[in-house]
Amino acid sequence: MSASNAIAGRSPALAWAVHLSVVLLVVLWTIPTAGLLISSFRDRDQISTSGWWTALAPAERNLVARSKAPDAARQEGGEWIIEGNVFDEEEGAGTVTAFGVSSRSPTAFAPGDVAERGDARITVQADGQYRIASEQQPEGRRGTRLFVTSKEPPRWTVENYRTVLFSEGIGRSFLNTMTVTIPATVIPILIAAFAAYALAWMEFPGRALLLAVVVGLLVVPLQMTLIPLLRLHNSIGIGKAYLGIWMAHTAFGLPLAIYLLRNYIAGLPREIIESARVDGATDFQIFLRIVLPLSYPALASFAIFQFLWVWNDLLVATVFLGNNEDQLVMTGRLRELLGSKGGEWEILAASAFVSIAVPIAVFFAMQKYLVRGLLAGSVKGG
Amino acid sequence: MNRLFWTAAAVAALGTGMGAQAALAEQHLPFAPGEGAFNWDSFEGLKDLGVEGEEIRIFGPWMGPDKDLFDSVVSYFNAATGAKATYSGSDSFEQQIVIDTGAGSPPNVAIFPQPGLASDLAAKGHLTPLAEGTEDWVRENYAAGQSWVDLGTFAGPDGNEDLYGFFYKSDVKSLVWYVPENFEDAGYEVPETMEDLKALSDQIVADGGTPWCIGLGSGGATGWPATDWVEDLMLRTQSPDVYDKWVNHEIPFDDPAVVAAIEEFGAFARNEKYVDGGSGAVASTDFRDSPKGLFSSPPKCYMHRQASFIPAFFPEGTLVGEDADFFYFPAYAGKDLGKPVLGGGTVFGITEDSKGAQAFIKFLQSPIAHEVWMAQKGFLTPHKGVNTEVFGDPTLKKMNQILLEADTFRFDGSDLMPGAIGAGAFWTGMVDYAGGADAKAVATQIEETWKSVE
Amino acid sequence: MEQIMWALFTMTAGVFGCVAYFFVANRVLDAALPARGENAGRNINRANAIRPWLFLFPALAVLGIYLVYPVLNSIWLSFTDASGTRFVGGDNWRWLAGDEKFRESLGNNALWLIVVPAASTFFGLIAAALTDRIRWGSFAKALIFMPMAISFVGASVIWKFVYDYRGEGSDQIGLLNAVVVALGGSPEAWITTPFWNNFFLMVILIWIQTGFAMVILSAALRGIPEETIEAAVLDGASPLQIFWRIKVPQIWGTIAVVWTTITILVLKVFDIVLAMTNGQWGSQVLANLMFDWMFRGGDFGRASTIALVIMLLVTPIMVWNIRNVRKEERR
Repeated sequence: MSASNAIAGRSPALAWAVHLSVVLLVVLWTIPTAGLLISSFRDRDQISTSGWWTALAPAERNLVARSKAPDAARQEGGEWIIEGNVFDEEEGAGTVTAFGVSSRSPTAFAPGDVAERGDARITVQADGQYRIASEQQPEGRRGTRLFVTSKEPPRWTVENYRTVLFSEGIGRSFLNTMTVTIPATVIPILIAAFAAYALAWMEFPGRALLLAVVVGLLVVPLQMTLIPLLRLHNSIGIGKAYLGIWMAHTAFGLPLAIYLLRNYIAGLPREIIESARVDGATDFQIFLRIVLPLSYPALASFAIFQFLWVWNDLLVATVFLGNNEDQLVMTGRLRELLGSKGGEWEILAASAFVSIAVPIAVFFAMQKYLVRGLLAGSVKGG
Repeated sequence: MNRLFWTAAAVAALGTGMGAQAALAEQHLPFAPGEGAFNWDSFEGLKDLGVEGEEIRIFGPWMGPDKDLFDSVVSYFNAATGAKATYSGSDSFEQQIVIDTGAGSPPNVAIFPQPGLASDLAAKGHLTPLAEGTEDWVRENYAAGQSWVDLGTFAGPDGNEDLYGFFYKSDVKSLVWYVPENFEDAGYEVPETMEDLKALSDQIVADGGTPWCIGLGSGGATGWPATDWVEDLMLRTQSPDVYDKWVNHEIPFDDPAVVAAIEEFGAFARNEKYVDGGSGAVASTDFRDSPKGLFSSPPKCYMHRQASFIPAFFPEGTLVGEDADFFYFPAYAGKDLGKPVLGGGTVFGITEDSKGAQAFIKFLQSPIAHEVWMAQKGFLTPHKGVNTEVFGDPTLKKMNQILLEADTFRFDGSDLMPGAIGAGAFWTGMVDYAGGADAKAVATQIEETWKSVE
Repeated sequence: MEQIMWALFTMTAGVFGCVAYFFVANRVLDAALPARGENAGRNINRANAIRPWLFLFPALAVLGIYLVYPVLNSIWLSFTDASGTRFVGGDNWRWLAGDEKFRESLGNNALWLIVVPAASTFFGLIAAALTDRIRWGSFAKALIFMPMAISFVGASVIWKFVYDYRGEGSDQIGLLNAVVVALGGSPEAWITTPFWNNFFLMVILIWIQTGFAMVILSAALRGIPEETIEAAVLDGASPLQIFWRIKVPQIWGTIAVVWTTITILVLKVFDIVLAMTNGQWGSQVLANLMFDWMFRGGDFGRASTIALVIMLLVTPIMVWNIRNVRKEERR
């Protein structure tokens, strides 16, 4: 670290280049997500009609408003008048720049002009106030359509988050997910660490072949395994239960865990382990006292990935766990919020950010352990 | 001894009475039994099914609002019989039912969005044939009953044909959606024949507008809306007989009749002036976003052909029947093919036989099972015994009328073809066609894939 | 509350059970073959032969049941018909050889295998090297890492807002097209343009996997001994020289691991393709083709055959790994 700082400190131009490149990388990598974050505060109609970046600036909007129904008309000096405002009270007001009374020419009139439609004289003011005057009493159940072009300040809503966070049973699902995730992260690490040590530092016949097989298993497509495994669970009586999903996640995570950890552990300095052996330490002691503490960075990085994978998993959970209240996980619950025909981008967006919170927190917590790699480095040098 | 017995009986009676009441209060029954125009007799009739306390697991593709609606139907079953039926839904239903039946932990009753999948499972022996007499019941009580029987009849593992599927909840696909006030503003009339529809499309172009919004996008299922178009046009250019042969692969997919129907679709979708965004936008526009063009200002298009479920994707606050309405996708006046209707429906099958599962299928035959959903929203049924007065909104009633009055009713063909075609090659082929490929070449490629799976 | 207690209990029981197994198994072995007494030498040899298997046993048991058994099952299924019951010999393999979609998938997979691991590792290495040098590095890391934490469903929505296409003249809601239009170009349907759409799909996976590469490589970079770097600094090497000539060669092993892992992941990639195109417009890949035949085609035989092809493709990587291990052992 000190050396790196020294380099950066020596050349301010280089330091600037580093800062700028990182800024560029970060911007490139976050812009797509930023789009989703902003979209999660918009409503569905807006999401599919205008780009998320337009949500930040005042926008010109063409809207079709409907006047109050004819029975709201009151008589005034021999005319029937309907008055109101084209803007919704909740959504806040904009400024009308043009209006029309027919879908054929929605911008025919400037605010304050009088448009004629049938025997009605219609006018819309810049502030959205409209007035429809006619000599005959208006009939029908529905009001007149008013086509309005307006400049509007950005509109935001927290409704999507409310839908997700206060949906029924979300708390229970959070617990269920935790129940699945924590053991499904810890158990494979433990099992893999022992196996990785054996593959890295213990002599036995067939070691290379075994390692190759483990790496080969990395590529087994998950979908192939689902039916035989569920059949197995049913026949030995596990059925759809937490035990089954822990085992499944453990197995699916193991090849990567063994592979990553073995490579890290094999890279530990030979002298340390040899000298411990010479001192009479058993393999078990070497593993616990030397290898495990030195492997923190690798353990932490794998833990992060396994945690994320299990946390975001939907397929394995729906297959190995039931759909009932006791077992439905977060991803399944969020899925339920979407309609059966999909298309609820706004709910998807909000739920993506609700479910990302925990993994990011885990990443920050684990980063401390990643930094412990420094220790490993100093030991290695000495 | 005697006293003890009576006390015990009284306690038991009190217990069940209170239990039943508590259960009733707990379950949400949107319509109080005995009130309104419902067939409450059929509800009372269910009480003799004798499945009290039976647990019935039902699994299907309905989620969100649809799940709530079906839950309300299920709660009437539970209230009447005292059974404990529960429904759960998944958006990956198709995969999961394959896994669950294959692994030996299926639900009691499964709800299939497409008969094709149910037929696959029946062939593998994962479905139980429905009770004796169900076939006759469907034939007598459903409009176009025989066709529903045929659609639910599959070959079992031994090759023998049996009725495995019971249809409940159907969709009408031959609908064109429009905004009546836009038609009024422009002075357009609802067309009664295909010739008029094409003339109207040309008229709209001449007036500087765009007649159609077509979107085939649907993520991994991109292309399916086009298959509906082709099927609808097939029914309007060929006799139902030819349609059936096409669906059953008795004529090849690249038969001139099919190619002609694909080209009919091209006359709409590949006409630059007919579609919003030009023909290039057809394949990439999401089908859920596509109807929104009807409602923009100025309108991006005037018409949208889509099934009865599409109002769910109209902008918020749209009143169907007022702000938007539909008309029947008309047939050619010049061809004597009557008024064909393309539709779809969901099939119930028994994946794990039990007394409760049988009782649930019985329940689906009672009018009340249909009326409860009808009275809410988004439900059509061919059941002739229901009281159509209970429909929650007039447009549903109008749609159901189309269904009940069809001269020819045909099921969505792609749902009946093998999965690799109807949910694969047909979709991709249509996407290629919309993108500019030759109709004949596309059809030939689909035909080759079909041959390879037989 | 009850569930929390129960969950905590089962969690600790599960974890404790694992620890207890290793501890007890070692004790038992030490007691059975003590490294003392008359047979000490023989005992030590025997214990050394057995101990690796004690360490390996849980992993091998789980892998055997949950992965090897399904693989063997697939091998059998690849010789059966659609329902997985009737033996059909090499029919599935013959069909595969003549299938156009399969050839398309192979070609696309080859593209993916070249581009994605290379790009992800490269960007990951750059990100790791740069962020380690600055004070707000861990914050930058978290942001670059974030895509990894987003579920595939979320990711597909995110990229819908990037690649979305609307006809010329209407408002673009996709970022990429909006930029193109703003620069005076005409909008493109990125996802539906054959061949090039592969690259737009790859960008998504690179976007996700760079975080993975960065975290692992950053841990490796930090593990490099200070002395070697300080020596180079004293020799007057430029920072770029230090990075490429001294740091990178030292973490070469880790780079290979990252590369291999991403390569294998690419062979399995199907979520992205399924969600964005489902293999249409010439973007099919093997894993999605398999998924298609399994769940849409309902043909376990063909699906298993494709799965085996994916596994066969990894053989070169396995061979390469065995060689590496051998080399290390000779060292």
